[in-house]
Amino acid sequence: MKKITQALLSILLISSLTLAGCQSSDSKDAAAPATADVNNSSTPSSSPSSSSSSKYGESPFFSGKNLPPVLDRLPLEPKLTNELPADYLNLEIGTYGGTLRTARTDVVIDNDVFIINNEPLVNTPGLLGEEVTPNVVKDFKVSDDQKEFTFTLREGQKWSDGVPLTVEDVKFTVEDVLFNPELTPVFPLWLKSSAGPDGKPFTFQVVDDYTFKIIFDKPYGGFLMQLAVQGWRGYTELIKPKHFLQKYHTKYTPLEQLEPEIKAANFGTGEWAKLFISKDLLNTEFSYPKAVGFPVLTPYIQVKSGDKALYERNPYYFKVDAKGNQLPYIDKLESNFVQNLEVVKLKIMAGEIDHSYEYVSIPDVSLLKEHEQEGGYKVYVNNLHRTANDIELNQTFDDPVWRQVVGDARFRQALNLALDKQEIDDTVFYGFANPAAFQGAERDLDKANKLLDEIGLKKGEDGLRKGPDGKTFTIPLEVSTQMADFATLGQLVVEQWKQLGLDVSLKQIDNTLWTTRNKANQLKATIMFTPGPVQWARSEWGQNIWAPLWDQWWNSAGAQGEEPPQDVKDLFQSIFSLRELPIEQAKQKREEIKKNFADKVWYFIHSENIAAPVAVNAKIGNFSDKGWGIAQNFAGEQWFFRK
Amino acid sequence: MLTYISYRLLQMIPLLFVISVIVFVIIQLPPGDFLTTYVEQLRLSGSDVDASTIIQLKAQYGLDLPLYGQYWVWIKNIILHGDLGMSIQWNLPVSEVIGDRLLLTLLISVISLILIWIIAIPIGIYSATHQYSWLDYAFSFVGFIGLAIPGFLIALLLVYFVFNLTGLSVTGLFSPEYEGAPWSWGKLLDLLPHMIVPVIIVGLSGTAALIRITRGMMLDELSKQYVITARAKGVSERRLLFKYPVRLAIHPLVSTIGWTIPALISGEAIISIVLNLPTTGPILLKALMVQDMYLAGSFLLILSVLTVFGTLLSDILLAVVDPRIRFGGTRS
Repeated sequence: MKKITQALLSILLISSLTLAGCQSSDSKDAAAPATADVNNSSTPSSSPSSSSSSKYGESPFFSGKNLPPVLDRLPLEPKLTNELPADYLNLEIGTYGGTLRTARTDVVIDNDVFIINNEPLVNTPGLLGEEVTPNVVKDFKVSDDQKEFTFTLREGQKWSDGVPLTVEDVKFTVEDVLFNPELTPVFPLWLKSSAGPDGKPFTFQVVDDYTFKIIFDKPYGGFLMQLAVQGWRGYTELIKPKHFLQKYHTKYTPLEQLEPEIKAANFGTGEWAKLFISKDLLNTEFSYPKAVGFPVLTPYIQVKSGDKALYERNPYYFKVDAKGNQLPYIDKLESNFVQNLEVVKLKIMAGEIDHSYEYVSIPDVSLLKEHEQEGGYKVYVNNLHRTANDIELNQTFDDPVWRQVVGDARFRQALNLALDKQEIDDTVFYGFANPAAFQGAERDLDKANKLLDEIGLKKGEDGLRKGPDGKTFTIPLEVSTQMADFATLGQLVVEQWKQLGLDVSLKQIDNTLWTTRNKANQLKATIMFTPGPVQWARSEWGQNIWAPLWDQWWNSAGAQGEEPPQDVKDLFQSIFSLRELPIEQAKQKREEIKKNFADKVWYFIHSENIAAPVAVNAKIGNFSDKGWGIAQNFAGEQWFFRK
Repeated sequence: MLTYISYRLLQMIPLLFVISVIVFVIIQLPPGDFLTTYVEQLRLSGSDVDASTIIQLKAQYGLDLPLYGQYWVWIKNIILHGDLGMSIQWNLPVSEVIGDRLLLTLLISVISLILIWIIAIPIGIYSATHQYSWLDYAFSFVGFIGLAIPGFLIALLLVYFVFNLTGLSVTGLFSPEYEGAPWSWGKLLDLLPHMIVPVIIVGLSGTAALIRITRGMMLDELSKQYVITARAKGVSERRLLFKYPVRLAIHPLVSTIGWTIPALISGEAIISIVLNLPTTGPILLKALMVQDMYLAGSFLLILSVLTVFGTLLSDILLAVVDPRIRFGGTRS
């Protein structure tokens, strides 16, 4: 008997929970007509789009969906879209409708959709980092000493389920999630003063219903850039929907009440933190199955997960175009799981995919161009927002002979002089790149040989140069299978450096193995791309590849790794100071860093202005080939289908 | 017979235990774990991953436990609750990930298996009885091509030619409007024409192999003395053929059930990848590549269970169809 009651009780509980889950969407529908009546009681039955002599336009997609009028769905001051700088694109006023089809080869992650959907607190047009403008927040203010940041939310902005967004959501995120050691065991580095490992976490102040302050104890001018573009940060790290997540937080819901759900999710008794994390959604997880039903601020909401994941426009999205039309223009997204990359290209050519940034590379351009007409798409040649494949020699590898040679700046200069950068651009990039000027684009084998002789790397009888220990000095390039062009470049580099009498070899290793070996400081020489030389706003100049131990020492404030020599410390310090400086000063600092990399050749950055081809449905408007391909993708809410 | 079967069933318990341990350990043998791959993937696409997020994910999927701890959690849930665990990469229960694909995989496999039997056995018999006739040569020729060319290559060629001629991509099992839609009459009708290509390609190498096997078995039998005796006694050619040699020639069908059954649900991974079929094969491959050990482990365990049961089944069936095996057992 007891068992039966127990079973009944649990059934009741589960069903009530499911009901509660459904209710959030039901109550929205139920509440909708009520609000609508209040606002235009004079014309109760007219359709929302034509009603209210609204200054805002909306998609016909919403008609008949029982939503409040668009005026009430938008914040008092919606954001006028500015994802791209004015000179990149003549923004057209688009028309509503259509479905954008993308492809993904990962089971859940669709980077095309992720970039379209991502909404940072503040943004930087074109992702260039030239200026910072408000995005999710209406306004921000920075104190003169670069310590105090005041943000104002948009009054009237709502989550995708219609619940208003207020400072309470920020307070919840900061006080109950970020500063809760169970949910955040390690406080994020970028939220400590000047993003330093020894920095103090920020202090948080609520000013009023829509205003809050983030205060650091040291100047942190780069904080805005951290919010805008570093690491594709979204709003989720500082703003989470309290009304949704408090159901899973012990501060708001007693643990006993959570236990059944914790148990249902297969976690141990009392492990509410695991339940909370499994319910919470980071910005990188918008394409996950758990995103269905989670309140968001993004242009699209996931409505169905699976091999073909479906997204619909967010009725409460906060951006409008210059004519006051609520964005996005395109109503739906459809993300198709495809087993492999080549099938993606086939689908592009057959006109079954409308946008692909991820899966098109330079070697595909000629094939894709050939089928543009039949496939109804267009290949835009934009620029890449990072380098494609730099060459790194590990200066902290655990071998005294290797270190002595590679640590000598003259050795690296010699190798740099031996690179035929024009040949690299012609072969690896099919001419869609230029030799990078700042490390010197000229090839000079004589000078390179002279430098090597000077260091004392004498040639032996076999014509190969010997290291200080008298043995043949070998550079074993180990490249990951991540990108096909790593191996192409590797073959060229092997041949070009062999001309100096060096023993160079190339080996391709699996992606995961590469990562493990890189972390364990076991790679002597490799090829990997880095964002630093292109995106100045990011401070990743490949330090973790050409000097893993020094990088670890720096990032752990001396706890791990190995102390770098003074000149490296100075370099790291200047890279690091980018985070503290406000934009104008940071731009100057960047030139300094660039010069340092040119003189010391810490690693080999051989090409610049590398193309990033993008295949896009020819009917899509508001797309241009200016700027970085990824920046066009970031402005996806402005795309529309021409009739 | 019953004691024999129950003895065999008992034997399976330690066998499956050892298999489950080996499977779990081998999946985890490569350096790193799922999160290494995951974090690296995010990092390469430029996303920062907070240290906290990594710690939380580790805890959530039990990756912070030692290997035996992970194994214990996994096997305990399977035995006690029939719960195969969560797939880390899909963020879904394993049963859900596999379940959706199992039906389609089975459909393709079973139809191609039946097709293989229908085509290959008569051809094999004909080839053997008409050895060195021009049709025998023709079938052998086609059969060798089918054996020698891997299915994925034929699939690739097919995809290429169809695209070049029509501009269509022959991939997937459904038209876009039915993809991901709930099952309906329309969806089923839509599926049928899409199945033709995969069924033929999956069946091709199997057909070729079975033709060769049946032909070889038949030739062995046809030259045996009992055939000559029977013929000498005046048994009609047709009755002679179907009563004895054919029955023996199809033995391989029964004796290979042990691996036919798991093959039915594992799907042809590479063909499925080339043709972008939503079957189980590619899912297993992907799971192994990213070390999604609960998905890969559970799936491999299911395959092992089926193999073990299939072997038992084929042993029993062999005894049923072949009196020699039955009597051979009792003599000693």
